[in-house]
Amino acid sequence: MAKEAMLDEWYPVGLFSQVKTTAYKTALMGEPIEVSVGADGNAIVTTSGGRVLSSRVRYGHVWSSIGDPQKEIFSIPEADQPGRRFVDVGVVRVRCSPLRAVENFLDIAHFPFVHTDILGAEPHTEVQNYKVEIRDVEDEVWATQVKFYQPQAAKSASGGITTEYMYRVPAPTCSVLYKTCPPRPSEWDVITLFVQPLAEDLCDVWPWMALFDDETSMTDLIHFQQTIFLQDRSILENQIPRLLPLDPGMEIPTRADLTSVAYRRWLKRHNYTYGAQLVAQ
Amino acid sequence: MKLYDYILSPSCYKVRLMAALTGLSLDIRPVDFHPGGEHRKAELLALNPAGSIPILEDGDLLLTESSAMLVYLAGKAAPEWLGDGTAEQSARLQQWLSFSHRLTANLGGARLHEMLLRPGDIALLQAQGVAALRELEAGLVEQGLRGMPFLASDRPTVADIACFPYVALAPDGGVSVDPYPAIRRWSRAIRALDNFIEMPGIHRLHELKPEPQIGTGEE
Amino acid sequence: MSADTTGFWTPVALSADLPSGTVIPAHTRAGSIALWRSDSGRVAASADRCPHRGMRLSYGFVRGETLSCIYHGWSYTQTGNCLRIPAHPGLTPPDTIRVATHLVEEADGVIWVAVGEPVHPPPKLEGLVALRSLTMHADVTTIEAASGAKSDETGLLKATQQYDTMWLLLSEQEQGHTLVHVLLDGDNTLGHRISASRAVESLRRCAEDLQARRSRDG
Repeated sequence: MAKEAMLDEWYPVGLFSQVKTTAYKTALMGEPIEVSVGADGNAIVTTSGGRVLSSRVRYGHVWSSIGDPQKEIFSIPEADQPGRRFVDVGVVRVRCSPLRAVENFLDIAHFPFVHTDILGAEPHTEVQNYKVEIRDVEDEVWATQVKFYQPQAAKSASGGITTEYMYRVPAPTCSVLYKTCPPRPSEWDVITLFVQPLAEDLCDVWPWMALFDDETSMTDLIHFQQTIFLQDRSILENQIPRLLPLDPGMEIPTRADLTSVAYRRWLKRHNYTYGAQLVAQ
Repeated sequence: MKLYDYILSPSCYKVRLMAALTGLSLDIRPVDFHPGGEHRKAELLALNPAGSIPILEDGDLLLTESSAMLVYLAGKAAPEWLGDGTAEQSARLQQWLSFSHRLTANLGGARLHEMLLRPGDIALLQAQGVAALRELEAGLVEQGLRGMPFLASDRPTVADIACFPYVALAPDGGVSVDPYPAIRRWSRAIRALDNFIEMPGIHRLHELKPEPQIGTGEE
Repeated sequence: MSADTTGFWTPVALSADLPSGTVIPAHTRAGSIALWRSDSGRVAASADRCPHRGMRLSYGFVRGETLSCIYHGWSYTQTGNCLRIPAHPGLTPPDTIRVATHLVEEADGVIWVAVGEPVHPPPKLEGLVALRSLTMHADVTTIEAASGAKSDETGLLKATQQYDTMWLLLSEQEQGHTLVHVLLDGDNTLGHRISASRAVESLRRCAEDLQARRSRDG
């Protein structure tokens, strides 16, 4: 069955700092699961029926799979740099396809309209050309040399700047964004979206960050990222069709959408179709 | 004036919005409501044992009910937001301020459940939310027939600010506001007010500004 | 509602509920509509979906004579052509980028959208004045039973509750709901209008109770 390809992937299922000895009930691709912490402090993930699932703790979250992952969770080397602050932004549930959630995260043309006066503003709406590739060795989608003018790009920015970005998709429902870091211009701030597919049209989104910012309070960092994501949520819940179309015809991309085009192509190539639809209607 | 604030809280937003509309400045003290649950920890419980936010401090005055905060801000800076002082208008104001607390429970409860995974009987909360929206719609229809675009008067009052956020964010909790033309008109009138500010989930009305052009010198 | 074989008209909204420069969601049997009025006052009915990434156009915004999508600001004319893509300001969007539009008629304070291509114009509402619209969680048959009257071939039902006479223009929606436009005779006072608004709320309670009982009892 086409959707099985995504069963063998790792997905976030909880914040490690919040896991308790009593089970937290959630789901992965329709399968009810439970997340708890054992007496030894290790995370335990089981199906509701009691089958123990593989689990990992990475990037502040508990990860699991209802299938049989063939590789470890993707790496983010920047997360190991000394001086980084890690921000657990907290879960937000969205009634949308997990794939739509990722695709929205990859998009910049919406900044002036959806994140008005924060990540973008009219009339600075032009999206200049950038580079996109599917890297064969890592088997990941990468967009580089992405630029956009922003009135207030980060909590650590003091005014408008042209922000540079790189986008990366290392797993079907995860994306990593690298953006200009105002306090350390030679480094990238890392912002991630880890998406837990509950059903094909329902997901729990777990944003996470690894930043160089010694000034801003943790709560302010959390609130800034939650603001951005909440502004996207009402878009995500109102896209038709709910499932992400992987065949051309239903939706029309332009040159600004190269990352999303590559993402859809990469999903189709791998049969990552949970949350997608294949036949143009 | 210090506001213990959560950026995603519609009740906190009532106070932030009122301050913006009346030109008052607030000292914001952000509270890690989610995921941190800070509102239920020792420091904030000492201020407000109810464990809720917003909390407003102004010297010796400590307020924990958002309606009271709205009344206080209006009283200090812009008393026209409290109505004309007649018995009738004061009563209308109180009626809708009390009503607004039900919205926190039903529309707000549905939103917390659907978005932030808080417990609740979602079907019941949504049904109660629909009933409340119908009540608001009927009230706004009648006000409209009387030639008044706002809940208690021909100009906005604290009653409108108290009701607006949870109504505007009802879709976050799976309750549509599409079936209510009077609510739509009223919501738009509020969003078009001078010095209106948004919150995440309530976006800017781009039509209020004509399409800006690059190079006209306007930014 | 009056129907001919090539199409029919659906009363989707009251004129008063669509001010200039605004867009609202509406529904016909042909699907969801973004119903909008340009700054100059012209009404249009576009399919409620931007072909870029499928966002509902009813969430968008009207500037001048165009409707723009809230997601990326793509702007459409009243005939459905895409005029502008803000990410590419120098680009003239190809004709292939368009939204479907539907025929619209506005008369007597009611906006009608066509499903198909009706031969005749929408029904006239002789001397009636629109009051308000509301949605009832009941089908037309149940509303008729609750009001004790039947709707005519234009979908108009004359309802009398105690001292109030009102005209209900009914438009059945999906899920057994009915959109009800309330109209009154031309000669009415503020008191009449408020009373009629409350009377239709009573009728709604009655119809919905009846519908719930019918659903429960099969």
